[in-house]
Amino acid sequence: MDVATMEPRTTSLVGASTSVRARKLADQIATVVLWIMASSIILLLALFIVYMFYLGARYLTPSFIFGMPAETSAGGGVGPEIYNSFYILILTLIFTVPISTAAGVYLQEYAPPGRFRELVVFSAESLATIPSIVMGLFGLLVFVYLFKWQFSAIGGALTLTLLNLPALMRVTQEALKSVPDTYREASMGMGATRWQTVLNVVLPSAIGRMTTGIVLIAGRIFGETAALIFTAGLSVSENDPYDLNPFHTAETLAVHLWYTHTESIVPDVDRIGNGSALVLLIMVFVFNIAARVGGRALSKRLTGRPT
Amino acid sequence: MISSIARRSHRTERIALTVIRMCAGFVILAMAAILLYLSVEGTKTFFVDHFSLLQFLFSPDYDLDDNHPGAAIFIVGTLLVTVFAIVVGGPFGIAVGVFLSEIAPKRMAQLLKPAIELLVGIPSVVYGWLGLTLLVPLIRDHTSSPSGFSLAGAGIVLAIMILPTVISLSEDSFNSLPPSLREGSLALGATRFQTIVRVLLPSASSGLAVALILGIARAVGETLAIQLVIGNATAFPKGIFGPTATLTTVIVGEMPSATQGSLQEHALFSMAFLLLIIAMVLILLVRFALRKRT
Repeated sequence: MDVATMEPRTTSLVGASTSVRARKLADQIATVVLWIMASSIILLLALFIVYMFYLGARYLTPSFIFGMPAETSAGGGVGPEIYNSFYILILTLIFTVPISTAAGVYLQEYAPPGRFRELVVFSAESLATIPSIVMGLFGLLVFVYLFKWQFSAIGGALTLTLLNLPALMRVTQEALKSVPDTYREASMGMGATRWQTVLNVVLPSAIGRMTTGIVLIAGRIFGETAALIFTAGLSVSENDPYDLNPFHTAETLAVHLWYTHTESIVPDVDRIGNGSALVLLIMVFVFNIAARVGGRALSKRLTGRPT
Repeated sequence: MISSIARRSHRTERIALTVIRMCAGFVILAMAAILLYLSVEGTKTFFVDHFSLLQFLFSPDYDLDDNHPGAAIFIVGTLLVTVFAIVVGGPFGIAVGVFLSEIAPKRMAQLLKPAIELLVGIPSVVYGWLGLTLLVPLIRDHTSSPSGFSLAGAGIVLAIMILPTVISLSEDSFNSLPPSLREGSLALGATRFQTIVRVLLPSASSGLAVALILGIARAVGETLAIQLVIGNATAFPKGIFGPTATLTTVIVGEMPSATQGSLQEHALFSMAFLLLIIAMVLILLVRFALRKRT
């Protein structure tokens, strides 16, 4: 929009006829207000962190972090739940990353504009806005009812795959976008095919950004709850709390936090809740830091030195 | 020799293209399957149990033992918490977006952006837990609410949860404005605040609309953060500090105990289908807003 064509608005906060000093004052007040609002976000986060450490820090003992959960008595731990969170996370990434990377490469490097491309983009956008609880019910219909898998780690992981596919596609696309076109031109100019260019030139240059994005989303998968309640189940595996069979139930830490508060009858709900919430918060930090450090390190390794 | 290598790489090229095209097609397939399954399961209330759509949408009578699957209470609940969240969180988010784009010195941005990313990363069940342990007692002690579980509490939690979405999308839309807009306005003697209010806000309006719509989408679908705070009462809220329930909270609360094939299960799937339709409508609105810009 052009400035000249903009109509002056008489109802605006600063009237046109006000003196220069009044306008400057308004400007300064607005600046201060915006600074306060922005700072309040940092303060809010700090408050959350301090408060949760205050509530939960005393419960983070080895017997809590590595111990077995209790059904009815006090003193239960969350060891198997933490294991299940990682287990489902890894399963989800194994399913999601190849598909999302391939689909992202297709959209960014290959797809000609047209119906198919439009439909992929629209489907991905729609998939991205589906609430996780609705995705959980879809997982219930397909993996629990239709495939008759009961509640299972793999059902949970496949549900999370659908939930996170669009975000990971976006990560791939953004990373590929950041690779300058001259790289592609140079590679293809030397006789490489498009696929050779993608595989040997474009993807290695994009891998740092991709890793950062993937690890950040991994953090979100780790804490996902609503989609897992009806797919991965509300208890740890009966066969073995550290079960490797993906077809057994696998309650994650985030689900355990919700379940303990809403349904469970253990007397020390507050201890489990505060401790689990703090572990989840700490994991958010771990994933955020790992995303930055890992992405940078990988990018340096793959593009920093010539091989 | 050379021609055989060329032929082989040509074949690899074709296979690779087929494979990645199939992966892209999988996204379409997944979306289609979700739409199909939920539309079949979500309409059983009407086609199997023969209740009218109007009764489902507008009747506040939700008593499944008595064969009344009215979802009006939950629809209104979802509407109210979403409006609350967007009224509180929307302007705040846009303001911080402006701050990041136009005012924040580099140091402040370097502090604020990681903070926002951490807020995105906190799981919704942890937000719910924070609301439960921090906000609910606060509301109980300082308002007329006897239990502390309330619409307002859920709205506040949601407002905080949509902030990162609104902030980063509105910052993007301010950043994408050409610098000449700011320069022109400042050169005409406008202050920075006047430039923001009169030039940048109107110019970025479609991007800001997208930020708000996606904030709404997040608020509508949020489940556990609200469920732990809202009180889950099957009743319209008596005032802003009264307990109520939303579409998502009733689904997560009742689905674990619903028997397969019962009216209760059908009604809950109908609510999930309604949430899906709302999400699709919001996506179409986003597309409309973006098309208007170009």
